Amino acid sequence: MSYIDPGMRDMLDTFVHETETMLEELDEILLESERARSISADNIGGIFRITHTIKGSAAMMGIDGISNLSHAVEDVFYILRNAPSKLDLVFDTIFDLVFQTSDFLKRELEKLQVQGNDYIPDDPSGLIKKLHLQAAILSGESAPQESEKAAAEKEPDCGEAGQSCRYKIHIFFNDDSQMENLRAFMLLSQLEGCCDYLGSDPEHPEADSSLSEEIAKNGFIIYCTPASSIDEVKQTIENSLNVKSYEIVDLLPDNPDDKSLRSEEQADATSSKATQSPGTGGPIKAPARGAKQSLISVNQAKLDQLMDLVGEIVTAESMVGSNPDLRGLKLDNFTKSFRELRKLTNELQDIVMAMRMVPLQTTFHKMDRIVRDMSKKLGKKTELVTEGGDTEVDKTINDAMVDPFMHMIRNSMDHGIEPPEERLAHGKPELGRITLSARNVGGEILIEVADDGCGLDAEKLLEKAERNGLLTKPASAYTDREAYNLILAPGFSTNAEVTEFSGRGVGMDVVRKNVEQIGGTISINSVKGQGTTFTIKIPLTLAIVNGMNISVGGTVFTLPIASINQSFKVNDPGQIIRNTNGTEMIIIRGECYPIVRLNRYFGIDGGIEDITDGIMIQVNNNDSKACIFADELIGEFQVVVKPFPSFFSKYDLKKRGLSGCSILGDGSISLILDSNNLICDL
Amino acid sequence: MNENINSGTGLTNDLKDRYLLFNIEDTKYGFSLEYVLEIINVPSLTPVPGVAHYIKGIINLRGKIIPIIDVRLKLGLPEREHDDKTCIIVLNIHDMQAGVIVDSVSEVVNAENSQLSVPADFGEASSRYLSSILEIDNKIVLNIDCEKFFSADLESQF
Repeated sequence: MSYIDPGMRDMLDTFVHETETMLEELDEILLESERARSISADNIGGIFRITHTIKGSAAMMGIDGISNLSHAVEDVFYILRNAPSKLDLVFDTIFDLVFQTSDFLKRELEKLQVQGNDYIPDDPSGLIKKLHLQAAILSGESAPQESEKAAAEKEPDCGEAGQSCRYKIHIFFNDDSQMENLRAFMLLSQLEGCCDYLGSDPEHPEADSSLSEEIAKNGFIIYCTPASSIDEVKQTIENSLNVKSYEIVDLLPDNPDDKSLRSEEQADATSSKATQSPGTGGPIKAPARGAKQSLISVNQAKLDQLMDLVGEIVTAESMVGSNPDLRGLKLDNFTKSFRELRKLTNELQDIVMAMRMVPLQTTFHKMDRIVRDMSKKLGKKTELVTEGGDTEVDKTINDAMVDPFMHMIRNSMDHGIEPPEERLAHGKPELGRITLSARNVGGEILIEVADDGCGLDAEKLLEKAERNGLLTKPASAYTDREAYNLILAPGFSTNAEVTEFSGRGVGMDVVRKNVEQIGGTISINSVKGQGTTFTIKIPLTLAIVNGMNISVGGTVFTLPIASINQSFKVNDPGQIIRNTNGTEMIIIRGECYPIVRLNRYFGIDGGIEDITDGIMIQVNNNDSKACIFADELIGEFQVVVKPFPSFFSKYDLKKRGLSGCSILGDGSISLILDSNNLICDL
Repeated sequence: MNENINSGTGLTNDLKDRYLLFNIEDTKYGFSLEYVLEIINVPSLTPVPGVAHYIKGIINLRGKIIPIIDVRLKLGLPEREHDDKTCIIVLNIHDMQAGVIVDSVSEVVNAENSQLSVPADFGEASSRYLSSILEIDNKIVLNIDCEKFFSADLESQF
């Protein structure tokens, strides 16, 4: 049986997306408040609004777990809003609980997305109980003040109700509809549109889930004065879900019995009365939308398609421009129009690229959370400093970076940052610091994750790697930098014990894999006793690469500019050193580089063999360096990267040093070289 | 010679019984029309290193990168100079496009079940890929089963 009502399935994606966004917002508010050790009225309102909205939409989707849990949080913050000073009593407990709630909700959302119709909700009752307990502690102290306020509000409201109320509608819901209180509330909001006056008994059914039993048993009473005719109201009620039966009673405007009944009920409902915040209006519509109104969410597949199309257009445009039929012709008007076209396509390309760009800020914020949780669990005091969160990267890259960030920060927290006592003993500030920074450096994003912890110990790393059989050469031959890179090797973990956070030896391996998958590189620098810095360079976007086209025989290759150090001609064949196994090497400024002859490497006929005729291109990746030998440089181009047809998937061309292909201006195809794998293969 | 065979024709069901005939050496072969997308001239091929010898490379077909297979090499025959009749039949198999180089294409025929017979299995490359043998106008046509023909190239995905 599917958990989600079939009619709601279409809404599921929207629900998940909206709720995720709100939870992120919630986390941000919480972290900010926790750092400040206080919570502003605005932020309480924010949290209140978020939980309220989640509750409403979850109830609409029929996901009771999420709805009930958000409701419990909402209760707590409802009390806090009226008495912010009480917060100090339970500060840490509340924050922990709300963070747990946020995590729980995120897990549920993920499950909803992955399992779809087979979604099985987790039971949040443990959390709810804890939240209720906190609410009780809070309200126990603030109760008198509150009822006073509510009583003051009660009078005018009641008088108004008595005068204008015209009909009394008694509604019964289906026996098994569940969450009757919220269904009643939804009915109320539906009726809002067609009634001049609207009241109900209980007045705020959404405020208290315990009311749902009462409503199920005794029904739900609505007082209303229709804007036009009662028929409209009838129709709305008939159309709404789960209504079993209803009964309309025409009241005299000043029916005293009814009025007294209302006031009486209201007195009971005082505690939940003010729940409906003035700014909240209908909780289903998120009130904060105002600022975000100009945003729409688009299916990423559509964006990818658009990107592809624009790539086509760019290629087609240069095909027109460099069309051989035009050669030698003097076409003033054509040239003018063509220039205009090119300007527009360039603009189009920029916009499409910009559309896929998202700031790293949200990803950075997620890390805040990890640092906070780990600090608590490990008993280390650490702050996360983020810089350049507004740096924008392609959405795919952003998504791929979440895991690496997490692993690097966990690693820094677990292995890097020392416990407070040790830090003080070393003359460092007690508070550890992890810096997460991003900046744009010439077509690439440079991301640094730095900690001021104990740094890496090359000797220990080597020792450990040797034990794990990860060394490929004698330990003494490793430079410090090479030794640091060992922590990126699969199966390497410096922590003797497996902790909750790290030690299984998979983490840093994932970092490297993810970074490489998006065409990035990672390097590690460390000073013993002062800290470790991970430097990651990733391309701005995956789809379009700045490349140098080089020819070998009849084949054109594209080498990403980012990996090229320099290119030069070899004048003297004597510069080439031959190894015993036949590999050639060249010495440049005292460093020895192996030479990759592309024609031999790829088995291409007709490439230049004489080393003085061709061109040498020096490429650098991390710490592996090599020189690529090709026939000639054709020039620098922006190329649209296309993956190889899936036909080739069994050949694993990536391993062979080819990352994809691209269509050149004249319609021919170039193969994109992946110098990383090209060199690794040596 | 750029014609789109599938455009305007009916359902794939109808296409199943129709075959596009092409020549390799002196033998007539056929592809079921349900796989055939179009026939194009041989453009310049970009060889891809490190793949099977019968994959001649990739081409750019209106912005799509398509692998090209030489039927001769796949069938174990020697390669042949391309002439003005040599062309590429673009096939669509499991939503993937691939082109095959053939000596020339001749015609499209309708085949009825009565005209088809089951091929004997000689275990040779050429007979391994056959789905049926068609006798039409006193000529013998060997029908190639696209699924079998590409099975070695697709296996990693299934």
